[in-house]
Amino acid sequence: MATAPITDQQLDLLAERLGSVGVGRRDFLLVAAGLAAMSAEGFNARPVSAAPKLAPGEKLAKDQTFRYGGGGWYQYEPASQDFNKDLYCNGAVTLFAGLMKFNADFQAVPYMAEKVTSNTDGSVWTFTMRKDSRWSDGGPVTARDFEWSWKRQLDPATAAPYASFLYDIKNGEAFNKKQITDPNEVGVKARNDWTLEVTLEGPRGYFPVLAAYLAALPAHRASVEKYGDKWTEAANIVCNGPFTLEAWDHNKQMVLRKNKHFFGAKDVTLDKVIIPIIGVAAGALPYDNNEIDLTSLQVADLKRLQGDQRTARQVFRYPFPGTWYLLPQVTKPPFDNLKVRKAVAHAIDRENVIKVAQGFALPAHSMIPPGFPGALDDPKIRGLQKFDPKLAMSMLKGTPFEGGKNWPKIVLSMRDEALGAKPLAEAVQAVLLENLNMKTELEVLEPRVFRERLWKQDLQFVWIRWFMDYPDPHNEYFDTFYGKKTTGRRQAWTNADFDRELEAGRDTRDTKARLAHYARAEEIMQTDVGYVPVAWVVRYAAAKPWVRGIERNKQGEMVVEGNIYLNMLPNLYMVERT
Amino acid sequence: MLGLVVVSLMCFTAIFADVLAPYSYTKTNFGRLNEPPSGQHWLGTDQLGRDLLSRMIYGARISMIVGLGAQAIVVLIGVPIGALSGFVGGRLDLVLTRLIDVMYAFPRLLFVILLMSMLGAGLVNIFIAIGLTGWVFIARQTRAQMLAIKEKDFVGGARALGAGGWRILGRHLLPNAMTPIIVAVTFGIPEAIFTEAALSFIGVGINPPTPSWGQMVGEGQQYLRTYWHLCVFPSIAIAVTMLAFTFLGDGVRDAFDPRQN
Repeated sequence: MATAPITDQQLDLLAERLGSVGVGRRDFLLVAAGLAAMSAEGFNARPVSAAPKLAPGEKLAKDQTFRYGGGGWYQYEPASQDFNKDLYCNGAVTLFAGLMKFNADFQAVPYMAEKVTSNTDGSVWTFTMRKDSRWSDGGPVTARDFEWSWKRQLDPATAAPYASFLYDIKNGEAFNKKQITDPNEVGVKARNDWTLEVTLEGPRGYFPVLAAYLAALPAHRASVEKYGDKWTEAANIVCNGPFTLEAWDHNKQMVLRKNKHFFGAKDVTLDKVIIPIIGVAAGALPYDNNEIDLTSLQVADLKRLQGDQRTARQVFRYPFPGTWYLLPQVTKPPFDNLKVRKAVAHAIDRENVIKVAQGFALPAHSMIPPGFPGALDDPKIRGLQKFDPKLAMSMLKGTPFEGGKNWPKIVLSMRDEALGAKPLAEAVQAVLLENLNMKTELEVLEPRVFRERLWKQDLQFVWIRWFMDYPDPHNEYFDTFYGKKTTGRRQAWTNADFDRELEAGRDTRDTKARLAHYARAEEIMQTDVGYVPVAWVVRYAAAKPWVRGIERNKQGEMVVEGNIYLNMLPNLYMVERT
Repeated sequence: MLGLVVVSLMCFTAIFADVLAPYSYTKTNFGRLNEPPSGQHWLGTDQLGRDLLSRMIYGARISMIVGLGAQAIVVLIGVPIGALSGFVGGRLDLVLTRLIDVMYAFPRLLFVILLMSMLGAGLVNIFIAIGLTGWVFIARQTRAQMLAIKEKDFVGGARALGAGGWRILGRHLLPNAMTPIIVAVTFGIPEAIFTEAALSFIGVGINPPTPSWGQMVGEGQQYLRTYWHLCVFPSIAIAVTMLAFTFLGDGVRDAFDPRQN
């Protein structure tokens, strides 16, 4: 198998591309992991799911109906199921299958394609399609479907809001921006029914990863042409994924049925999937009432389910890497004073603060959560923000705030959001008051206002999180804190040495050497207190005992459907309730 | 009478919050989160391990400050406008009455929320927002009183004796118009308290860590099924206060009502 190596310029290009889409990044891909996986494991097609493993005495349920949602999942009526046009349509992702897919370790593996090759520099990619998979109307899924779908997304007439994901394709951007009008100039071409050739704007080693992302899902041409925007209604839709849309009771629920034309249909055990649309306010009530089999959990329900012997074992943590931290704005008093920032870093009693999150947070001493590339367990780093109230107070010596006096008015700003963000912020307020006598007022801003003021670096003190887009330090440092970023920079703090480490990390090939650069970057940032790490995010779900087959990643954690990992349903099976 | 007792109690609590509260309202105890009522914490602890009773006692202070402060602004704006409008009459009356009508046309809570999001959360801003929207009723009341009283004989008498306009307004008209204003204020206080609670409930009122009943209900309601006390006690406090002020308002109105005496 010939794949071109990925250069760091390409990774940067990807980061840039992602950045231009704004919201899309987080949900996008775990680029580096995907890429590493490709070289490590190659592109061997494997069965779509593992066979059910039954314990002695256990029987597969006769009724293979699975219901899931709630706690934040599918809380809004989907705008459509047309991922090809709008990847944030909130529909059921399992209806469509891309050329590639992400596995439970967030690595890209072949799906509708069975072989992927590229020219030597990685600027032309050839996907060889598997011939045994069909649309739910029985027609074959061919390379022409993908050619047409991707061009549809890029066509300015489609007005796809996130078309920029495909701008790596040659002339994709020009076509989407009406600089050229001939779709034949766009660099995606079906050489025949089974061979898709994609010519890119330049070397892009990460393209197969892109091909696994939501943005690269296909649409069914005949249906689109016949029904227009109504083509994803249950009566009209034709799908190529493991499931089809049997019914869509608007604002109420979606009912999916196994797609018998899907190539892996024989490995799919579930027969029917019901996705009710449940507002987050309902909590786990539908789960308690046995109306759903799998749900995401909010703070209040987690404790209750964990505390109940009957449900404690149904609860599990799932990966959702993110970091909560404080941004003291270095352009605004009192945080223009390094001693004050250091005092803040040492005044945060993380072990205690996270208790208010009731399980949804772990104490953080750096950007990257444990278990991810670049995670630091260095005592030197830990020392930089170690909780020490005496040390914190002593930092204020010689400043106008010595002894915790004379603080100006300090407003701590955060974005309005769920997931127990506010109690955490209030706990931070409490420890700052207790240990530095620093009074702060907590201001919860509407998301749009928050983002606007954040990017203007207009906020004095910020409580904020970063959800990891892809497990590479480049994402955690460069995309977040790089001082030369022109758009979407969250903090006024910059540091030339820090930036140099990030650039070096980006431009270095050797993994160990790279990580060393990022470790130094973290040390510089914490020494200069550009940010104060507080907590790492974790999330929880609960599954009824009769739900089986939830995949585990290499760390042994159960992985459930998200925007990256879409392949949960084909793996699931139900056993007889006892 | 009951209303008066409860309201007096409220005022007492608000004034002596520092003495009455068993704990500081900011004192957290991360080892004892969301505890149900106990001997040590009579109403339990909240999601930061703070004593709920103490926070409610301080919340009473906030509520009373808002109720009285906002009403002060309401009176300061509403009474002069109403008085001028009614006393001067003519074109000024026309303009002011139309202004009052326009203000009346705004949905009150919506307007307050709009003002709050423009001004930002905070106690003073709540005064301003409630004051700016609440003065219309009192202005109207005052104007009606003016119109009625200025035709009375004793006013004519004062005029005949050569009293100037300001003197008549200040010495004769306003004192005689006080009764309905006082009644309106008594009813306005719980309304202001409730508006503050509503604002804090949706998160545009008082900023943490300052406790406010509305905010406590708002945060507690997420945990209603697990930690009922977080939501229930502040809710009771709001309800009882509303009721007490309404009783008090009724009482005041009856006391001033000549027909009942």
